[in-house]
Amino acid sequence: MSRRFIVEPRGLAPWWLKLLIPIGSVIAALALGALFLAITGNDWVEVYTKMADTAFGSGRGFAETLVSSTPLILTGVAAAIAFKMLVWNIGGEGQLMFGAIAAAGVGIWLSSSTPAVIAVIAVVLAGAVGGAFWASLAAVPKVYLGTNEIITTLMLNFIALNLMQYLVLGSFSPWRDPEATQFPQGRPIIDNARLPEFFHRLDWGLFIAIAVAIVAWFVISKTRSGFEYRIVGDSFDTARYVGIKVPRKVLSVFLASGAAAGLAGSILVVGILGKMDPRSLDLGLGFTGIIVAALARLNPIAIIPVAILMGALNNAGPALQSIGVPSATVKILQGAILIFAVAGEFLIMNRIKRPKRVADDVPAEAEVSSA
Amino acid sequence: MNDSVVMLTIVAAIGLGTPLVFATVGEILTERSGILNLGVQGMMLIGAVMGFWATFQTGSLWLGVIVAMIAGAALSVIHAFNSVTLRVSQIVSGLALTIFGTGLAIFIGRAGSDALVGRPSRAIFESIFPQSLIDIPIVGPLIFGHDALIYLSWVVVGVASYYLFHTRPGLTVRAVGEDPASAESAGINVTRVRYIHVMLGGALAGLGGAYFSLALVPSWQDNPIGSAGWIAIALVILASWRPWRALWVAYLFGAAGRINFTFQTLQINIPANLLAMLPFILAIVAMLILASGKRGRLLGAPEALGIPYSREER
Amino acid sequence: MPDRPESEIPPAVELRNIDKSFYGVFANADVDFSLARGEVHALLGENGAGKSTLCSVIAGLYRPDSGDMLLDGKPTVFKSPKDALAAGVGMVYQHFRLISNLTVAENIALGNPEVGLRLSQSELEADAKELGERYDFPVDPTARIWQLSVGQQQRVEILKLLYRDARILILDEPTAVLTPQEGEALFRAMRILAGEGRSLIFVSHKLHEVKAVSDRVTVLREGRVVGAAETADAEPRDLARMMVGKDLVLPTRAPNESIGEPVLVVKDLVVEDDRGLDAVDGLSITVNAGEIVGIAGVSGNGQRELAQGIVGLMKVKSGSVHLSGSDVTSLSVLRKIKLGIAYVPQSRLGMGLAPGLDTDDNLALKQYREPPFSKGPMLSAKAFQTKAAELIEAFDVRGVRPGLPIRLLSGGNLQKALIAREVTQDHCVMIARSPTRGLDVGATATVRDELLAERDRGIAVLLISQDLDELLALSDRLLVIYEGQIAGDMPASEATAERLGLLMAGQREDQSA
Repeated sequence: MSRRFIVEPRGLAPWWLKLLIPIGSVIAALALGALFLAITGNDWVEVYTKMADTAFGSGRGFAETLVSSTPLILTGVAAAIAFKMLVWNIGGEGQLMFGAIAAAGVGIWLSSSTPAVIAVIAVVLAGAVGGAFWASLAAVPKVYLGTNEIITTLMLNFIALNLMQYLVLGSFSPWRDPEATQFPQGRPIIDNARLPEFFHRLDWGLFIAIAVAIVAWFVISKTRSGFEYRIVGDSFDTARYVGIKVPRKVLSVFLASGAAAGLAGSILVVGILGKMDPRSLDLGLGFTGIIVAALARLNPIAIIPVAILMGALNNAGPALQSIGVPSATVKILQGAILIFAVAGEFLIMNRIKRPKRVADDVPAEAEVSSA
Repeated sequence: MNDSVVMLTIVAAIGLGTPLVFATVGEILTERSGILNLGVQGMMLIGAVMGFWATFQTGSLWLGVIVAMIAGAALSVIHAFNSVTLRVSQIVSGLALTIFGTGLAIFIGRAGSDALVGRPSRAIFESIFPQSLIDIPIVGPLIFGHDALIYLSWVVVGVASYYLFHTRPGLTVRAVGEDPASAESAGINVTRVRYIHVMLGGALAGLGGAYFSLALVPSWQDNPIGSAGWIAIALVILASWRPWRALWVAYLFGAAGRINFTFQTLQINIPANLLAMLPFILAIVAMLILASGKRGRLLGAPEALGIPYSREER
Repeated sequence: MPDRPESEIPPAVELRNIDKSFYGVFANADVDFSLARGEVHALLGENGAGKSTLCSVIAGLYRPDSGDMLLDGKPTVFKSPKDALAAGVGMVYQHFRLISNLTVAENIALGNPEVGLRLSQSELEADAKELGERYDFPVDPTARIWQLSVGQQQRVEILKLLYRDARILILDEPTAVLTPQEGEALFRAMRILAGEGRSLIFVSHKLHEVKAVSDRVTVLREGRVVGAAETADAEPRDLARMMVGKDLVLPTRAPNESIGEPVLVVKDLVVEDDRGLDAVDGLSITVNAGEIVGIAGVSGNGQRELAQGIVGLMKVKSGSVHLSGSDVTSLSVLRKIKLGIAYVPQSRLGMGLAPGLDTDDNLALKQYREPPFSKGPMLSAKAFQTKAAELIEAFDVRGVRPGLPIRLLSGGNLQKALIAREVTQDHCVMIARSPTRGLDVGATATVRDELLAERDRGIAVLLISQDLDELLALSDRLLVIYEGQIAGDMPASEATAERLGLLMAGQREDQSA
């Protein structure tokens, strides 16, 4: 196949390109969305204005946007820290749900006389532990058996979903509210374990999420452990050469990733939901977190603004129904943003040039056994 | 006899399993070339909605099928471009396409003043043999009681299996999925092989989705396929990347979809949710077995699955 | 052998004035070569001599920059290996192009245009079996490649070529992966093939093999032909001298007077390689403080396994490694680093340095766990910068920019950085593999000076290299490694290129030439 262009890996991408690609992806996706809207006879200006208005136009709207962003910050961080080390944890969904199950479990049975501070810490921590546990079901086989984590985490998502549904909808387990006779509901969390709200529906979960993102960034860039993490993510052989125990590192990062996702689940349960509500936990938050992570180029701090953007989109979606546009428009935009971001990543990693002369072959000496 | 619980379950299993057959065989072809496509769910949905729309507009079922296949293939081209040409993460690309495809399918279903949602199908695939044949005990419903697409699915399985294991182009695909560098040395155009098989997978996924909207459900809903696309990805593993096995595991899980009803009739009480977990748990167990030891390699995945291939890297 | 006078039958392959270079560096220069029909012709030379490149040109993998190639007397240009194979020229590479999970029969059929659309497994298997038997090369056609031993896999590679009726076969260092018995079987097969009128090119660095199987031998050095002879008439001494060359830099540095106690003692070491073969096969060496011990050898004789076995990156199957008297054989890599084993690996970017991290980070890779680099769990960015600046200055590492991934530095600067880090840690042993490979004159000088300085500081230095210049310039004592064992041990004053060359090619000193 003759080459019309030469693709050359880039050394160091200019900082403005790293910013341009994510922003460009959003703009391109919006353009694509506008196209779809126009084709189906909608006024894209009206739609986008309505979306912006819903998400940012009022105090309550903005609060809702932040409410939607909170779990996305966490699932975004979960995906980012794993992916950076080439651990393909796509089980954020399941880890979030199991975190919710764990948190609800603790939150339902704490005695109502437990001091609020302790209760809240307990349930939130339970979520993290639950998420880490769920991740371990894929992490341990990966580290000790070499089992591919892409499929295992994916499958665990559905197992967790069904487990969650079973506990509330499919059985009379302790997670189910015995007093809800009309329609199955999750049992309410006791009051002193709930996260207090402070601005419309926005609760302290937001601060926990932001704190986690900051801590993740801090650990990665400023601590010894984070340094080792970066070495492993760069080159397994180099890590081994300097004495780092790679399997242990991979396991701990995988579990941390699960914990972050589990935290998202627990914050939802003890925050705005107040109970384990399967329908409200099955919103694709784990997968959206992957979009957030990819768009933020795996940088924990950048995840915060990106999560807010995605949260804004999620928030604006239902409002579109009122002007006769399917809320699925939002999903199209999110998917398109990711597709453009993924393709754009190619431009960050590579440079495209016209060939001046035919490129030469790689020298044969490269084939001689080495190292 | 033909009304017995067992018979009804089996017949229903075949019906519910057929979309899984198409999607799984499609994904087998894609993965055999070394590309992991997590966008199957999105492609099935796109196929479902476009097939429904085409049939709705024209009254022709087969036109719906063709449009569904084209729609699935079109979405998969994006994945092929990302995975083969740009060589970016196949996982992220596939997931992006699922989200995009799902959104697009719901959007198309609800868009415009004459939205498809809630509209009854204009035509449905029905059994093609006369009732007299279907009434034959046992053999009747099992062999004669199916619609055209079910028979097509059997043909697809047979052709795919023969193709992969008894033809030279099939050997080529398998080689590309195992070791693209060596295949390239043998003169094979890895890029072309991968593009073709990703698109075949997309087309079959679209076809599988269309079976839902053109044979199984009476009217269009946002998501008539459930999580069939994700199940198909798991089934590929359970079927050890072989089309004939895909047929059986697909029917097994078609049965699982029906089993709740069956168990109730037989007064066996296993909760639906726990049964729904089954394919996924089995897939994980299969993965654990496949990951270790020599035996694993025989039943295992194409070795280069999911790894981007670059011609320069030798 | 044909009856007609030789001048009437054109050589199977003839090369005239072949030049081939990569990125401005000559791999083959003005090479003339001819291969007669029915001949087994050996290509002899060290690593980097240009043997593989020449073979790749003949096999159609590369096109020569200039010169002519004639096949059976007709000028020929190959556009690709596929082209070459269609014309009857095939090569068995050192790294096999076989697909592990497919069967032997399937691998043979792959990419072969003569196999029809329909694949009959049974036909293919019968063909494969028959071919194997004809050459006394039995293989099980239904076996999958991963189930076969390396020797058997090589047979499949050869059978692939025979299935296409290759008239000219090129074997690149085929015995590197074989047991002696398998090597014998290979030679038998080669003679059968030659007897059929096929022509074979056999690349090797082992003199006894060349003597055993070839009719003629051509010696390459630094890309040029330095000699050709009938094998029967060639003296191993002469061949070795041609391989290695007489004009080498004589050592000019003063031998170190104060050699100290043994620091690194390796006894009867056995280390398995990735394939499960004993790459290090009962090897013992001792390195004293303030001494540079050089190990010469063609790559693939166990150097990697020896270095990685000592350092802890590969498991030691049996034998022991002692550091200043204590047994460190099975300690972890980290323990060994802390006990003072420094290692400059051959793979600079893949192992010694993290390619995507910047220079500051890379320079701290060995010491980041200690103050001032880290205080407790926290890193001190300032310490990283200060230390890095010192080293960059002292070792003249150029091209460094903050945040720039180190892989963008030139080879010379990379190595300077790597050396800088390794010599400035607390250590008593330094193991260096091919430290000046691919470096320009300036960087080479810096690295060599640094190794000498190590010796003067009392460090025990083990230098493993294929570069005889380097070994002769730096070592106090010289050893040769061949097939996982020490083949020779001499003080530097007694080492000559010729002597080393013979040992490297497998001629033991007690054998007569």
